[in-house]
Amino acid sequence: MKQLLAAAGLVDRVTDFFAVIAKWAVLLCAVISAGNAFTRYAFSYSSNGWLEIQWYLFAACVMLGAAQVLRVNEHVRVDVIYGTLKVRSRAYIDLFGLIFFLMPAMTLFCYLSWPLFVQMLWSGEGSPNAGGLIRWPAMMMLPLGFALMVLQGLAEMIKRVAWLNNAYEMNMQYERPLQ
Amino acid sequence: MTMQEFAPLMFAGLILIMLIGFPVAFSLSALGLLSGFIAIQMGWFPAAFMYNLPLNIFGILSNDLLLAIPFFTLMGAVLEKCGLAEDMLDSMGQLFGPIRGGLGYSVILVGFILGAITGTVAGQVIAMAMISLPVMMRYGYNMRYATGVLAASGTITQLVPPSLVLVVMADQLGRSVGDMYKGAWGPSILQVLIFLIYTFVLSKVAPGHVPGLPATARTLHGWTLWKKCLRGIIPSALLIFAVLGSMGGLPGMSYAIATPTEAGAMGAMGAIILAAVHGRLNWSIIRDGMTGTMRITAMVVFILIGSRVFSLVFQGVDGALWIEHLLSGLPGGQIGFLVVVNVFVFFLAFFLDFFEIAFIILPMLAPVANKLGIDMIWFGVLLCVNMQTSFMHPPFGFALFYLRSTADSLFKAGSLPGKVLSRDIYLGAIPWVALQLLLVAIVIVFPQTVTVFLDKPVQVDLSTIRIEIPENDLQQNDAQSEQDTVNDLMRGLMKGSK
Repeated sequence: MKQLLAAAGLVDRVTDFFAVIAKWAVLLCAVISAGNAFTRYAFSYSSNGWLEIQWYLFAACVMLGAAQVLRVNEHVRVDVIYGTLKVRSRAYIDLFGLIFFLMPAMTLFCYLSWPLFVQMLWSGEGSPNAGGLIRWPAMMMLPLGFALMVLQGLAEMIKRVAWLNNAYEMNMQYERPLQ
Repeated sequence: MTMQEFAPLMFAGLILIMLIGFPVAFSLSALGLLSGFIAIQMGWFPAAFMYNLPLNIFGILSNDLLLAIPFFTLMGAVLEKCGLAEDMLDSMGQLFGPIRGGLGYSVILVGFILGAITGTVAGQVIAMAMISLPVMMRYGYNMRYATGVLAASGTITQLVPPSLVLVVMADQLGRSVGDMYKGAWGPSILQVLIFLIYTFVLSKVAPGHVPGLPATARTLHGWTLWKKCLRGIIPSALLIFAVLGSMGGLPGMSYAIATPTEAGAMGAMGAIILAAVHGRLNWSIIRDGMTGTMRITAMVVFILIGSRVFSLVFQGVDGALWIEHLLSGLPGGQIGFLVVVNVFVFFLAFFLDFFEIAFIILPMLAPVANKLGIDMIWFGVLLCVNMQTSFMHPPFGFALFYLRSTADSLFKAGSLPGKVLSRDIYLGAIPWVALQLLLVAIVIVFPQTVTVFLDKPVQVDLSTIRIEIPENDLQQNDAQSEQDTVNDLMRGLMKGSK
C-alpha cells in the first residue's frame, strides 16, 4: 500500500505540473486574443496562425487541466442522493464510478486518439488556412490529456482504497463548483 | 431489441447514472460509449463511429465560441476579487438607506450591476451578504426579507449579459451570442423592476419590515457620497458597455466589430487594467483568477465531451424522433409545449446544475421547439429565466446554501447581532421564487419582452402567425465549422495514409 500511495502522490505532482501549464494557457490565450482583435482593428492586420494558437491554448487548458480538476473533486456531480450519503458510501460510489465509468471511457479515448496524433506527426499535416499552424501539437493534447486522466483516475482509486482501510487521510467533501 | 426501443432505454440509463452521483462528464462518456458499442453490434452504426469520436472531441476544442467561456470567467473572477462589490454596496446603501426599503433597493440595483460585471451567483451572494446582511439586521430589517432579497439579487447574474449561461445557450441553440445577449436585456430589466416593485409595495404594506435608516447611519455626505457611488459604478459600467458594444450585444446594434470571443478577451484585459487603476491589482488576484478559470473551463468542456458522445449515439438511434413524438403531441401548440417544458425544467433544476441542463436536456428539446416555430432566442432566454429559480429553491438552492454559510461565518466573527435561522432563509426565499415564476409567465405570454430587442423584431401573434424559421436553422454555424474541421482532418489523414 505504501508504494501505491507513493505512486499516487507522484501522479498528483505530475498532474499539478500540467495544471500549471493549463492555468498559464488561460492568461496567454486571453492576451493573444485581445491582441489579435486590437491589431486587426488598429492596423488591419490579421494572421491565421495567431488566430489558431488561441484554440490550441484552449485545448491545452482543457485537456491538461482536467486531471487536476479530478484531484480536487470539482467535476460536477448530481448530488441529490450522493450529498446525503455517509462519507464511506461516497468513497464506494467513487470507486465504482472510477472503475466502470472513468477508466474505460478515458482509456478508450486515449487509445482512439493516439493513432491520429501519430499520423499527424508523421504526415506533418498543417492547417488548411493560409499561414496556419501544423496540427499535431493540438492533436497531441488529446492522448496526453486522456492519459493524464487515466493516471489520475488510478491515483484516486488508490487513495480511496487506502482511505477505506484507514491508511490515508483525505477530504471527500464535495462542493458544487462555483457558478 | 429494436432501434425504436433503444432510445428510451438510453434515456432511462441517463437518469440512472446521473443519480448515482459520479461526475457527470465521465458517466455520460461511459454510457455513450457502451450504447455506441451495442449499436455497432446490432448493426445500426458503422464501426467507423468509434474512430470518429476523437475527431469530434477535436472539433469541440477548436470551437471558437467556447473560447469565450474562459475569457468571461476570467473577467468576472478578477472584477469580483477587486473589491468593487464592497464599494458599491457601501455607497449605494448609504445613498438609499434613509428611505424606507432603501437597503433593499440598493441590494437589488447593485445585484443587477454586479451581475453584468462578475458572473458567479456564489461570489455575488457572498459579497453582498458580507456587506449588507449586518447592516440590515442592525437596523431592524425583517430577517426573511433580508435573506430573500440577498439571495434573489445574487441570482440576477445568470441572466444579465454578458452571462456565461447565455454563451453556452447560444452555442447549443446555434444562435449568435450577440442576439442572445440582446434578447436577455428585456427580461433582466423586467426582473429588477419586479423586485423593486415588490420592495416598494412591502414598504407601504408593512413598513416595519423595511425601515429607513436613521440619519446617523450615514458616514458620508453630499458630494463625497455621490463621488464614491459613481466611482464604483462608472468604470465597470464603461467596461461592460465596451465589451458588449464591440460584439453587438446591445439592443439597437446591428453590427459587431469583434467576435464574442475577442470581446471576452478584451474584457478580461480590461478587468485587469481596471483592478490596477483602482490600486487593487496583485498577483494573487490574477493567480486565483487563472486557476479558477482553468478549472471551470476544463469541467464544462468535459461535460460537453461526455454529452456529445452520448448525443451522437442518441441521435444516431433516432432518439430525437422519439422525443419529438413525445412532445409534439401536446395540446395547446406552442404555449402547451412551453408550459410543459418549463415545468419539466423547473423540477429538473431541483437536482441538475445549469450545465447539465444546457448540454444534455437542451439539445433534446431545441429541435422540437424549432419545429413548433418557437423563436430560439426567446426559448433560450425563457429557459434561462426559469433555471434562475433553481438557485432559490429551498432547500437545495445554491444561493441559499451560500447565504447560509456566509451568515454563519459573519455570526461567528461577531458582525451579526443574532443567528440567522435556516428556517428564515428558506421561508424568506419563497416570495422571490414566486416573483421569478411570475417573470417566467410574463416571458411566455409576451415573447416581445425578448424579441423586441432583437434586430428584426418579429410580431408574434400566437393564434395566426407561425414564425417561419428554416429547418436548417439549427444547423449551427459552429457545428458547421466543427464539421468542416472534422472533414479536413479526415482528408488529411487519408492523404497521410496513402
